[in-house]
Amino acid sequence: MKGRLLFACALLLIIAAPALIMASGAADSEADTIKFGGVWPLGDITGEQGSKAAQLAIDEINANGGLLGRTVELVIIDSEFSPEKGASAIERLANIDKVDFFVGGMASGVHLGQIPIMKKYQKVTMWTGAASHLAEAAVGPDQDWYFHLHPWDYNQGASYVTGWNAIAEKYDEISIDRWFLAYEEGPFGSSSFEATKMLFSDLEVDGEAFQTAAAGGGDYSAVIERAKKYNPDVFIWAGYDADALPLMEQSKTLNFSPALYVGAPPGWPADFGNSPLAENVTLYGMWAPAINAVSDVSKRFSDGYVAKYGALPATYFAPLGYTAIMILAEAVEAAGTVEKDAVIAALEAIKYESPLGEIISFEPSNVISHQGIKNQKILQWQNGRQEVIWPFEFATAEPVYPFTPWGER
Amino acid sequence: MKKTLNRTFLIIGVLLLAAPLFMGPYAQSVARSVLMYLMLAISWNMLVSSGQLSFGIAGFFGLGGYASTLAIVYLGMPPILSLVFAFILVGAAAWLLGLVALRLRGMYFAISTLALAEIFRVIIHNWHGFTGGPNGKLLPKLIFDGASVPTYLLMAVLAAGTIAFSMWFRRSKFHFAVTSIRDNEIAAMSTGINIYKTLLMVFAVTSAVQGLVGASFANMYGFVTPESSFNMNYTLLPLAMTLLGGLYTTWGPVLGAVLLGIVGEYLKLYIPYGHLIVYGIIIVLVILFMPNGIVGLSGKLLNGFEARKKGEVQL
Amino acid sequence: MRQNKAVIGSAVGFIGVMIIILLIAKPSALIFGIQRAGLYAAIALPMALVLGIVHIVNLAHGEMMMIAAYLTYSICVAFGLDPLVAMVPTAVIMFFVGMLLFRFTIRYALKAPELNQLILTFGLAMVLSQGINLLATSQPRKLSVDYVTSSATIGNVSFGTYDFIFLAVAVIFLTGLMLFLKKTRLGKAAMAVGQNPVGAQFVGINVISTYTIIFAIASAMLGIMGAFFITKMSIFPTVGGAYTMKSFCLVAMAGIGNLPMVLLSSLVLGISESAVQSIPGGTGWSPLVFFGLIIAVILFRSYAKTAGVK
Repeated sequence: MKGRLLFACALLLIIAAPALIMASGAADSEADTIKFGGVWPLGDITGEQGSKAAQLAIDEINANGGLLGRTVELVIIDSEFSPEKGASAIERLANIDKVDFFVGGMASGVHLGQIPIMKKYQKVTMWTGAASHLAEAAVGPDQDWYFHLHPWDYNQGASYVTGWNAIAEKYDEISIDRWFLAYEEGPFGSSSFEATKMLFSDLEVDGEAFQTAAAGGGDYSAVIERAKKYNPDVFIWAGYDADALPLMEQSKTLNFSPALYVGAPPGWPADFGNSPLAENVTLYGMWAPAINAVSDVSKRFSDGYVAKYGALPATYFAPLGYTAIMILAEAVEAAGTVEKDAVIAALEAIKYESPLGEIISFEPSNVISHQGIKNQKILQWQNGRQEVIWPFEFATAEPVYPFTPWGER
Repeated sequence: MKKTLNRTFLIIGVLLLAAPLFMGPYAQSVARSVLMYLMLAISWNMLVSSGQLSFGIAGFFGLGGYASTLAIVYLGMPPILSLVFAFILVGAAAWLLGLVALRLRGMYFAISTLALAEIFRVIIHNWHGFTGGPNGKLLPKLIFDGASVPTYLLMAVLAAGTIAFSMWFRRSKFHFAVTSIRDNEIAAMSTGINIYKTLLMVFAVTSAVQGLVGASFANMYGFVTPESSFNMNYTLLPLAMTLLGGLYTTWGPVLGAVLLGIVGEYLKLYIPYGHLIVYGIIIVLVILFMPNGIVGLSGKLLNGFEARKKGEVQL
Repeated sequence: MRQNKAVIGSAVGFIGVMIIILLIAKPSALIFGIQRAGLYAAIALPMALVLGIVHIVNLAHGEMMMIAAYLTYSICVAFGLDPLVAMVPTAVIMFFVGMLLFRFTIRYALKAPELNQLILTFGLAMVLSQGINLLATSQPRKLSVDYVTSSATIGNVSFGTYDFIFLAVAVIFLTGLMLFLKKTRLGKAAMAVGQNPVGAQFVGINVISTYTIIFAIASAMLGIMGAFFITKMSIFPTVGGAYTMKSFCLVAMAGIGNLPMVLLSSLVLGISESAVQSIPGGTGWSPLVFFGLIIAVILFRSYAKTAGVK
């Protein structure tokens, strides 16, 4: 019995010691590399493509002779969608890899765990994910090192108000007086609903939750039935990619075809455009391959991504990841150094033309002082492609209205 | 002989616990989460030693996190006190629920604890005004203001306490009672032990430990959300760790947590995309080739070695 | 046995009352509830079979259905088949996948402490879902077939007709399994092994091959379900986990080894969930009903049993 204990302890020591020694020993990096540390959930398509697009940006910079004459490097660590893993990853990037900048990000639940650690190191951070206003509250005011690219939940809501008002104004036949929101009951869907109710308070808004297929749900009959009874001008569902096709099918089954059928998932299922059900579905997003037609930066990014990875990016986290690296690189170039205050000053003055179409500069949002993108785009599935219909300066197609009834497809 | 071994053992343990203190914040951060899982695994193992299989770890973990967070947010409780509060509250809740649930055995008990965990989650998820609903709740500040060393020390002390408690428990009359329950409930009953009361005590205390771990998690990372606080991983990983290390021992869960925690952290550095497959394969292989866990296997090896030396077989 | 009848009686009574209330108040909720119950039962029955006879909790249950659904998807994409045709090769392949999984992994954990099988299948589940994640990414996939959206209208209630297929599958699975277990030699042997593995060995039944066959049959059933699943739902690498848990709950609610009760339990849960969801704002609370009912039933049965003993 005692021998067993001793053996266990010895084994523990053997396993733990080298690992811990390796963890404490700083990796000797060449002093003249500029290092970016990225944390994404690599098992998810958003994080996978975001990290790969960031790597693409790094490769492009190095191919063009590096930054300030130095090579750049990206260290990628998986957050595994877990706050403690995400937080450890930041500790590792700060202490072992000794990176100059933090990039990456997806999922507010992970980011909340990372924010306290980031605040400890206060490295210049270019974050591409986390929309929850709670994450913004956790960062708090006066954190000049924190740059947030992705719009906060309330930014997105406000941009929809602007977008829809502009669309309704431009196209007389489109009416947007009655809204129904079908939202998944998690943080993503329910905060969308709260924001919509608040922002569209002068319009008629109703909503109902559903259990997303991503969490074992997938039965939308109750919510569709309620929406049908409510008879909205605009029907929006805020769920995940896994909900898209089953929801459309069940709408067809129950013959629910509102004049505007809007989907607001962060991504779409594979080959969604090929489904006959997809035609004329309106959607929110930040990027689609169609933007290549109106933006050279987007085209350059998209071609580079296809050349390196053999397929078009499927989520907007790819152009966001690319943007995070490129915008930092441009600021470093402008500052002529990687020194923190100079880079922050350069970022504050930056006007970066991004693959997402818009020119990004940083302004205060509700709490933080450096918010990048504030608008989502309104797009529509037409002939299997996502076409931009708003903002009008990036528009690649006119909206089709109303949504073709199921019987006429 | 026994004293020397005990002493060696104590020294190695203390050294291991102290080591991350000198290795910087990253090692401390990893070690902290290893210790978290270690405590969950030990507490679960104590209950399973009594034959009661709980699938409710994540439930008590999340409940503890919310108890501590809400106590700090609404009552302005100091963080350390909120840990104690979470420990007591979760223990009391488990005791009350145990009054009913511990009448069940085997899979039925397991499912009930799983369902209870889900019920906690659903209530907290839907109680928007009080718990922050699906978005969760932020803590005004981290424990020790997020300083790495004191936070690690706190976890090390809690883990040492849990290990010590488990070791004391194994020598106490309770342990005799519980193992006899596991082996044969009717025989245990005939020895005059009040099975129900003993089980209730063990269930309440181990759940309280899980609540305490959840509370420290909330205080270390500064937030709670229903999705992260009630994550099924907090139930399944401690189970896997215990089995890998060796069931029904104190050192099994410890070994398993250290092994899986550190392996998981290193695998992902070398295989960024797809490391969880290897993680899964390790679990499968260890279960297949070391059915009694690492402690069991090492025990067998050692016993064999000693037996050969003494010229006798003992198992 | 008497206690069993009491449970069945109360389940049937409960369903009856729910049906009457819903018929009057919300007929559509009743229809949706029955359809949902069919899906639950059809997925849970293979687990009930494995748990009842091989006595292992297969935590890779949902993941095996996920694999089957991906298999159907690839067959359909590669050969342009309809998923309900691709079901046949999928079921056959899954039969052998199940056999291999059992022969090369689970079998070795049978003699180990019971919990080992649980963790072993947890590891397998992880390997399966992460493997698919690496091969196919986490992006969901779905086959669109026209007949899925067929519908009917009675009075002013319109509903999908295709979804009743899950109830039909569940009933066919149940009848098939009951006939198999009661009438065939292999089935009778399986029952004997399930009740008393040691005794069965003494009378000359090969326990391991019986287990293997039963596990393979359950896998083939999951193969069939995988094909049906993708006609209705999106698939992605982690889609199975939730169904493992739901099936596990259903089987425990039904009582281990009691196959017909799986169908009844599913009806109770499906209709109750659907009823709660038909109340505005009720969706968030429907899991509470699901898990609350499970605990209530398990406790009720346990107390009925102790009362019966006395």
